[in-house]
Amino acid sequence: MSHIAKRIAGISLGAAVLCGLSMQADAQLLSHKDLSVEIATQIAMTAVETCKTNGYNVSAHVLGREGQVVVAMRNPAAGFATFENSMKKAYTARTTRAPSGKFAEAVKGNPNAAQFFLTNFVAAQGALPIMVGNDTIGAIGISGAPGGDKDEVCAKAGIDKVAAQLR
Amino acid sequence: MKNIAIIAGLTVASVLAGSANAQLITHKDLSLQTAVTIAQTAVATCKAQGYMVSANVLGRSGEVIVAMRGNDTGPHTLENSFKKAWTARATRAPSVNFANTLKDNSTAGARSLSNMVPAQGALPIMVGDDVIGAIGVSGAPGGDKDEACAKSGIEKVAADLK
Repeated sequence: MSHIAKRIAGISLGAAVLCGLSMQADAQLLSHKDLSVEIATQIAMTAVETCKTNGYNVSAHVLGREGQVVVAMRNPAAGFATFENSMKKAYTARTTRAPSGKFAEAVKGNPNAAQFFLTNFVAAQGALPIMVGNDTIGAIGISGAPGGDKDEVCAKAGIDKVAAQLR
Repeated sequence: MKNIAIIAGLTVASVLAGSANAQLITHKDLSLQTAVTIAQTAVATCKAQGYMVSANVLGRSGEVIVAMRGNDTGPHTLENSFKKAWTARATRAPSVNFANTLKDNSTAGARSLSNMVPAQGALPIMVGDDVIGAIGVSGAPGGDKDEACAKSGIEKVAADLK
């Protein structure tokens, strides 16, 4: 076997081994926790009621792992744009795996940030990711309070309410 | 002279219509809390019967007030529960009535409208004779079973629907 042939054989063998290893890893199904509709409803209602106690009428969205709507709540007492906005905030928090306020900070003064060209991103505070350990399993978005910080307080109250179940 | 009389008559008629139109419309609408109770009850009732379902509660204009994706339901059930509810709201009748209409007339005009679906499982939400919204349920094996859960949701808040 020539030097080059040996090298090719070595690389092929190495690739085959690597490939075999990664195939083995891929062959295992993913195991993960997801929100139930009951918990999602509790999160959303707690957030809506917390804001109401604070004097604000808000709409809420709880999205799941794939950004899908698990619970959507339009508050007829809130502005009609709040329904859409709460969804977009939640989507932003889910996909960035971070509070939507963080995204708002990151793109401040940068209207050409690439994310603005993606669907459903919004640079507005008021949504938080829903975590199980380090895993983002969804997000809650709130809209309607006079200030994203006030929306976020209610979103947090919703998640705190079910903290014991988020494991 | 005859023309003047007609014009005078039209003027009186239009003043009368004008005063009637000048009054604002008064109506009752679903609150978020009532809508959530309706949807939650419907989902829980179906779950107790062994069926995982999604539910949509729509308001007077067909707007989504609450949408709930049931656990382990088919991905189409959220959309389907919305469309059933839309059909019930638009026709002011159980969505099964529209299904029966299409049986008799498979090319009825409403078939071509957005969001209409000829499937049982949705009921209008009434205050007296006034339709203030609708609930649609999807996921049970049979529209009659979906409708039973929708009914339980409305019955739960019956005392508030006045």
